[in-house]
Amino acid sequence: MHRRTAAPLTIAGVAALTLAACGGPGAEGDDGDGPIGIGVISDLSGATADVGTPYSEGIRGYADWLNEQGGIEGRELDLNLNDYAYDVARAEQLYSQYVNEGVVAVQGWGTGDTEALRQRIAQDELPFMSASYSEELVDPDEAPYNFVVAATYSDQMRVALDWIAEDAGGDSAVAVFHHDSPFGTAPVGDGEEHIEGNDLDLDYASYAMPDGATDYVSQLNRAASAGAEYIVVQNVSSPAAMLANNIAEQGLDLTVVCLNWCADEQFIELAGDAAEGHVMVQPFAPPTEPLPGHEAPAEFLESRGDSLENKGLHYVQGWYTMHVMAEGIRHTIESGEELTGSALRDALRSMDAVDTGDVTQPISFDDESHRGMTGTGIYEVSDGEMVELARGVTP
Amino acid sequence: MAATSTGIFHRSYASELALRHTTAEKVRLILVALALLSVPFVVSPYWLTIANQIGIAVIGAIGLNILVGFTGQISLGQGGFLAVGAYSSAILHIRGDLPVPLSVLLATLTTAVIGAFFGIPALRLKGLYLAIATLASQEIILFVVRNWEAVTGGREAIVVPNMEYFGFAFRQDFHWYWVILPLAVLAVLAARNLFRTGLGRSFMAVRDQDIAASAMGVDVTRTKVLAFAVSSGFVGLAGALTAHYTGIVAWERFTLEESILYLAIIIVGGLGSISGTVYGAIFMITLPALITRVGQDLQGTLPGIAEKLPAVQVVVFGLVIVLFLIFEPRGLARIWQRIKDYVRFWPFRY
Amino acid sequence: MSDFLQMTLFGLSNGAILALAALGFVLIYKATRVINFAQGHFLLVGAYAFYAAIVILGLHWTLAILVAIAFAAVIGLIVERFVLRPMIGEEAISVIMVTIGLSSILAGGVQVFFGTSPRETPQFLPTGALSIADATIPWSRVTAIVVAAVVLIAFSIFFTRTRHGIAMRAVADDQQAALTMGISVRKVFAMAWALAAVTAVIGGILLADLSGVSAGLAGFGLIVFPVVILGGLDSVPGTIVGGVIIGLLVQYTAGYIGGGLEQIIPFIVLILILMVRPYGLFGQTRIERV
Repeated sequence: MHRRTAAPLTIAGVAALTLAACGGPGAEGDDGDGPIGIGVISDLSGATADVGTPYSEGIRGYADWLNEQGGIEGRELDLNLNDYAYDVARAEQLYSQYVNEGVVAVQGWGTGDTEALRQRIAQDELPFMSASYSEELVDPDEAPYNFVVAATYSDQMRVALDWIAEDAGGDSAVAVFHHDSPFGTAPVGDGEEHIEGNDLDLDYASYAMPDGATDYVSQLNRAASAGAEYIVVQNVSSPAAMLANNIAEQGLDLTVVCLNWCADEQFIELAGDAAEGHVMVQPFAPPTEPLPGHEAPAEFLESRGDSLENKGLHYVQGWYTMHVMAEGIRHTIESGEELTGSALRDALRSMDAVDTGDVTQPISFDDESHRGMTGTGIYEVSDGEMVELARGVTP
Repeated sequence: MAATSTGIFHRSYASELALRHTTAEKVRLILVALALLSVPFVVSPYWLTIANQIGIAVIGAIGLNILVGFTGQISLGQGGFLAVGAYSSAILHIRGDLPVPLSVLLATLTTAVIGAFFGIPALRLKGLYLAIATLASQEIILFVVRNWEAVTGGREAIVVPNMEYFGFAFRQDFHWYWVILPLAVLAVLAARNLFRTGLGRSFMAVRDQDIAASAMGVDVTRTKVLAFAVSSGFVGLAGALTAHYTGIVAWERFTLEESILYLAIIIVGGLGSISGTVYGAIFMITLPALITRVGQDLQGTLPGIAEKLPAVQVVVFGLVIVLFLIFEPRGLARIWQRIKDYVRFWPFRY
Repeated sequence: MSDFLQMTLFGLSNGAILALAALGFVLIYKATRVINFAQGHFLLVGAYAFYAAIVILGLHWTLAILVAIAFAAVIGLIVERFVLRPMIGEEAISVIMVTIGLSSILAGGVQVFFGTSPRETPQFLPTGALSIADATIPWSRVTAIVVAAVVLIAFSIFFTRTRHGIAMRAVADDQQAALTMGISVRKVFAMAWALAAVTAVIGGILLADLSGVSAGLAGFGLIVFPVVILGGLDSVPGTIVGGVIIGLLVQYTAGYIGGGLEQIIPFIVLILILMVRPYGLFGQTRIERV
């Protein structure tokens, strides 16, 4: 390298070492009585926008509703909600922006952004809730600022397997059809351990569901010829609906058990008659089974000329995720603490269980575990609606 | 080129070899250097995150431009090679217990070797067929990453601990800026100088007319494979930096969209232009952030637009690329050149 | 044995749809030498145009197909006139990129009008299933095979027997020679894009019937690459052979090997084919001179 080009390099190198040692500017603190800033990272135009949109509207809806009720101790929630199009790099940018604006907590969305931000939120001490219910996030040693509001995918899988073992009434076989991603495979291993640990009489095999497929008939036939009678699906609604259609067309005697993200109204709408008789494991009760907890969001939406039936259960999911976070903030302020990320974390851990009006199990966290609840509802599709089979089932 | 119209005359070989010839150019270089050094003290951490992402994108995009812009081998496999760099560095650091600089270096070399291997189809294929073959390499690399659980941990993400040197942990964007900036500068200089060597010139000869190049004595096979190796080396470095900077490696980050983003960077910046690559990276990484900002401002004045905003952003992103290509296919580098010419000849026009 | 028959039938029907999706690709490449990365998004636009015509406008399905086809043809013409024509003579990579930008515009445009939730497919194709031996295949898939066959045969005839078809081939062969023969290269380019958009409507409708109307349809554009490369970028019969080979291969791999290998088997085949026959099975070999 030439001397002239080497000189600026050396300068840059030396500068790097000296300046790095100085430390950078920190985030702003909370100013005490103004609006409470919360950053929201939503998928409104990316790969999961179909369910990301109602979830995000639920978060926004709850904040608007709460502010209309007078906010928390007179302080309003100031949501900064932006679309990251399911792109992790965009999520990182938004997160930095939120930290910069001095938010006290962040609402995320998918597995990708939640994993990518796990270390940074721990360093910045910002509580983070998302719709990724991976079991890895409930251990405070691993993920000290992640809070998992609902039953984890693994717990949902355990509940599903227990239900299958009971429903089959003898030995049977289960095939897990999952999305080919960390989200999809999250509960697969735990399901197998659950069967071994509890001596369930079930054979167990897993199949990846490739993106962009027009049918899953080969996979279904493989599963069926291996003796499977139940199919647990860890994927979103559209592919799950295609799976149900394939089962109906092929005349196969298989029962689909959908976990969380395909256990919704969209699955029923897309699969039509083919959805009948299939089973759903869903921690959040659908609006079609009115419960006390559905009243507030339903009234709020009606005042806006909309209805909860139209928005669906993912709206409820976003609503109550935001509710839990808001309750934590209320608890922090009421106890006279300064509203910081770490104070909010302590409040979330120490406060009483949050009651969601029977929409979910009561949600609570402690120092040992950030698992909000273990119970989930089980529903069966009947006449195009989710009909409750059991509520609050725990593994 | 220069800020004089009389030409530049050299009195020694050393002065002819210099990258900057005139005082004006040197002054500009110093100004840019000062600006770069002062950035982290002036801008907010949000823009610093973007600055770091730009720095990494510059390194990766230079790699891609060496292959596409300088050697004429279209590649859609960028995401795959970024993944190789990120995974090898993370695995070497965590399982191999190697210090970060060493693991990053080894990851760079690993990616170069793997890149050379996936460059083999280029020996028989050209143009669009090669583009699609590299798309296939991308899919195959990601499939291997997802399924080779013993090594890559499968579909689960790998958590990379913060790097700790000189008694403190590199965790804020502020710290990383001082790691990424020198490496990006180094990458720019290395690429600039590469095309003053015989190897670099043989790359361009293959791009311009491979049969003629071969007649002139350029070993086309060797050149193509080397171009893939050198290019992938840069890309591997960018991937490895991503791993340590973000502290997490997950395959979902390295999809085809990532390859397309990098292609957009070099095309918007200017094919076969190192400075253009830098402009392109700045432009394409800042664009979504700017669109979001504008959207937020509009949200206040036009409340009805909020619902449609994400979709509109997607449209605007595509529109910017299309308009750029239609009105200035040679990219930002050419626009910058025209601005410089305009200033140089002012007050006269051509 | 019934499994084998089953897989073969599904492989064939997938192959038929793949061939149909690939056709638009080949049409554009054949006439204009442009690789259209937005082909998947043309499928998307086609499916939504049909959905809008049948559900929102409430038209009968025959009329809805005509409306969707007319709409797509107009979109194709607009795209050619305002996006691709200014790019004539630019480098291949710039042209690829402009189609990628285009795909972003189309995807965003569809979302502006229809939002993000997937829509129920308008039912108009025959339902129920056909049983052959021990295998069952839904009628909608049989329809797909028939429609694809009809469209592909029609295009083969179009290229060999009609004035416009021969003009398109002439332009593909040598633009200057075609110009001197009095063929309007501009009109041929415009026609290629309009026709490609029209085939995408047909493909989009068939696909939507199998997998619902959602943004995910665009991803199908990617799976088309191995098909067109296998068959040769400029060969209409090649799309049929490529589509059927890939369709069957994916089914057999999923059925007999599994483990997710079916996702990349088309790409492995693609690389192998390219190593042996760089211009695909039926592609035109071009000899280069300096």
